[in-house]
Amino acid sequence: MSPKLDVWQGTLALMVLKTLQTLGPLHGYGIARRIEQTSGDLLSVNYGTLYPALLKLEQEGSISSDWGVSDNNRKAKYYRLTRAGRKQLEREAQDWEQATAILARFLSARRESA
Amino acid sequence: MRSLRAWLLRFTNLFRRRANEADFSAELDSHLELHIADNLRAGMSPTEARRQALLRLGGIEPIKELHRERRGLPFFDSFFQDLRFALRMLRKSPGFTAVAVLTLALGIGANTAIFSAVYASLLRPLPFKDPGRLVSIMKRNPPRGWVRNANSAAELLAWRAGARAWEDVATWKQKSCVLTGGNPEELPCEGISGNLFSLLGVPALYGSNTFPASEDKSAAARFTILSHALWKQRFGADETIVGRVIRVNGSDVVVVGVMPAGFPHLYAAPYLDVPDLWVSGPGLTPQNTWNDYYAVGRLRPGSSLQQAQEEMDNASIALEQRIPEVSGWRAQLFPLRVLISGDTRLALLVLFGAATFVLLIACVNVANLLLSRGAARAGEFAVRTALGAAKARLVRQVLVENLLISFSAGGLGILLAVLGARGLAAVAPAYLLRSAPGLGAAVNPGILGFAILMALATTLLFGLVPAIHTASPRLVDAMKQVSRGASHSVHARRLRAVLVVSEIALALVLLAGAGLMARTLAALVRVNFGFEPGHVLAVRVPLVGVRYSTSKAQSEFWRRLIASVEALPGVECASVSRGLPVGGWAGQSFATAENPHPPAGQVPDANYIVVGPDYFRVLHIPLRRGRAFDAHDTQAAPHVAIVNEELARSQWPGQDPLGKRLHPVEDFPWMTVVGVAANVLTQGPEGGAHPELYVPFEQYPFVIAPHDFVLRAVPGMDPANFARSVEEQVHRIDRDLPVSDVQTLDQAVAAERRDARMVMALLAGFAGLALLLSAVGIYSVLSFSVAQRTREIGMRIALGAQNRDILRLVVGSGLRLALLGISIGVAAALALTRLLSDFLFGVQPADPVTFVAVGATLGACSLLACYVPAHRAARLDPLVALRYE
Repeated sequence: MSPKLDVWQGTLALMVLKTLQTLGPLHGYGIARRIEQTSGDLLSVNYGTLYPALLKLEQEGSISSDWGVSDNNRKAKYYRLTRAGRKQLEREAQDWEQATAILARFLSARRESA
Repeated sequence: MRSLRAWLLRFTNLFRRRANEADFSAELDSHLELHIADNLRAGMSPTEARRQALLRLGGIEPIKELHRERRGLPFFDSFFQDLRFALRMLRKSPGFTAVAVLTLALGIGANTAIFSAVYASLLRPLPFKDPGRLVSIMKRNPPRGWVRNANSAAELLAWRAGARAWEDVATWKQKSCVLTGGNPEELPCEGISGNLFSLLGVPALYGSNTFPASEDKSAAARFTILSHALWKQRFGADETIVGRVIRVNGSDVVVVGVMPAGFPHLYAAPYLDVPDLWVSGPGLTPQNTWNDYYAVGRLRPGSSLQQAQEEMDNASIALEQRIPEVSGWRAQLFPLRVLISGDTRLALLVLFGAATFVLLIACVNVANLLLSRGAARAGEFAVRTALGAAKARLVRQVLVENLLISFSAGGLGILLAVLGARGLAAVAPAYLLRSAPGLGAAVNPGILGFAILMALATTLLFGLVPAIHTASPRLVDAMKQVSRGASHSVHARRLRAVLVVSEIALALVLLAGAGLMARTLAALVRVNFGFEPGHVLAVRVPLVGVRYSTSKAQSEFWRRLIASVEALPGVECASVSRGLPVGGWAGQSFATAENPHPPAGQVPDANYIVVGPDYFRVLHIPLRRGRAFDAHDTQAAPHVAIVNEELARSQWPGQDPLGKRLHPVEDFPWMTVVGVAANVLTQGPEGGAHPELYVPFEQYPFVIAPHDFVLRAVPGMDPANFARSVEEQVHRIDRDLPVSDVQTLDQAVAAERRDARMVMALLAGFAGLALLLSAVGIYSVLSFSVAQRTREIGMRIALGAQNRDILRLVVGSGLRLALLGISIGVAAALALTRLLSDFLFGVQPADPVTFVAVGATLGACSLLACYVPAHRAARLDPLVALRYE
């Protein structure tokens, strides 16, 4: 089994927001699973950091939470994206794309000169 | 925005810890269940599914801890923990808490009360526009020892013209205004130049704050501005008053404005009367050399006091050429703040110092208490240290306990300060109240801030050392519960000894100050003023209006009044004068026949006292030579005068003053000296004797009527009883005359001692507190050490020590500390009481009687405080004591 990468700093929030946008309201466990699956099981979510991250997003008003019942009839706390969260997601996704584009260009430029 | 919201939520979470904990536990439970369900679906056995899920989740407690940290504010969390714990600890020992809080509250209260006076008098900015540029203009004559004199119009005009440093100069003159048309009232008022209020930058509430133009030139008061108080009391707060004509001193005057409520009299020295109204004029004339104008100037931006002084000195030198009477006089400038509070500054600072001493003693006492408590809690702290509590955390916890004590004390202290400030206002001399409006009023933010600062500072002062000491127990000793004396060893004992010695030293300084002030007050009471104030009533009856424009009419009035009052049963005799023999001096120049033209600058002056015939009899002023005035000394008779011994000594040393001649001004007839009166201390007990000249009121050349009516009651009769009947007699003669300032001379003399009384009352209060607190301090230290040494003492008794030996042992150890404290205190007091020398009278700052008495008092108190624990120790039952743990 190849060693999994930890989710690196600052990107967990973005992934959480994106997940909630794609799948709608979801509980913490589901969010973690979804992130791991989307990464093709390359990433491993540390639950110790996931819950404080969710709490932070909630305190900042990007997501809200509520107790609900899962598909197979289990009680779980569901998180949903708020309007502010949607805006934040848009903004951060854009920033991230820009950042990766710049980095990609930077890296390719370096190959040329070499 | 977002993070602010987050902080707010985190803050509110501090208060819903339990609900949050439960919620997150449930969330983790559901997380596990969901994971287990997934694992089961993937085909694991139930046990394996659960094991894998738990493994993947990791440690539950660390996750909860992380979540908790994000949820609330971790620092506050532990702070609240400390706070709750501290509250519990303090509740568990209510005696300790009460003593500590009360002790500190007294210290903080005393300090805050005095600070409120310091703030009102010295710190609060003057309520004028740009007050830093306002300067009070007075004059002085150093060769003749005159300072802070009022100015003459001639000088003010010369200074204003000659000094470019002034942006503007406003002038005023003290007057008295009698309002008629309705109930006649005599009120203090000022004749002012029209620019006074605009120079100060204070607008009127209604109408204008200045007079219609050209008014400065006129000598007559034609316009007036009312104070808010007068407007409310006399004119029923009539908003349409502007433009109305009222009667002032018998003429019609137009009201042009009303000043706002609380407009303070802080442009003038606090010993001047606060006016109820201001009238226009009189204008300055260049030949007028009467010294009765006060002035306040506003410096141009960028100009300095020194520049103004130089320019004005040059103008004075030029003026001397034209008007020789002003030779030797130079302007004396004070920034307004210095003029206002200069006289009270020292008294307030001394009292503030004394209050600080009380606070220090309180801190020392509480520190001592905390040390004893720390010893009792050594075991608790040792256990916590052994369990891994960090030292910083323990110190913090002790500090939080202390903080709780000092803030409770601060709250209580503010209450005490409010009461104290009111008490201070009650004993404060009038000039302090005038220079510090708002003294004794409710607490303001500045004073509140000060009290909080005090509370914080005291926490550090009394709390830090014991906190560190308590929080670093000697682990092994404490755990082994070796006798408590040993665990709380030499170091702590020495610390407590230092604290007790310093508090006794502080108390001695305060006691010495109070003792010196008490001796001062006693000396002041014993002072022979040269007259007999007992049984004398003084009433002010100004003769105003056209009816009394001639001295004949005035004499007529006084003759009638004196006759009718003397007819009252219980009145021994009555008379009239201008000026009472207390609280003032109105110098005026004169020349003698021997030296008719003294060179300018060397003209002698004397206090002119215009009196009725029986004045000397009423006041019991002894006549040393010659005769008193009598009914024959009328306007038509040859002019006569009575001089005091000081005038006779200075003008005719070694000669017989009877028959000598003198006169006030060139064109006034010579007066022949017919009597010599004993000196009277008109300028107060410290003022000494000054030349005084008594003139019969019918012969006085200037139309300044005598207005102080005095009567002597027969022995055994309270003179105050006659206040009512004198007023009736006045109104029987003239219904329009106001009667004011009714006082017995005893009261007037006591008023002279008011500032000594205030300083003494407060110092005595502080010293009493200090004495009490330091006695408590010695007592608690000795009780503690007796408790610690119980086994040792038991051993001594078992080995044959007598009661007497044990008493000597304990009392001796306490007295050693007391004596050391007293000697240090005496040294400190010798250095510090010099600051009091301005307030002392008839006693030296290093007065041996005071110091011995004070030292003995403190020693006796200490002995008493030592005796109680010593007695307890001596009565120990050795059997019990040896088993004592």
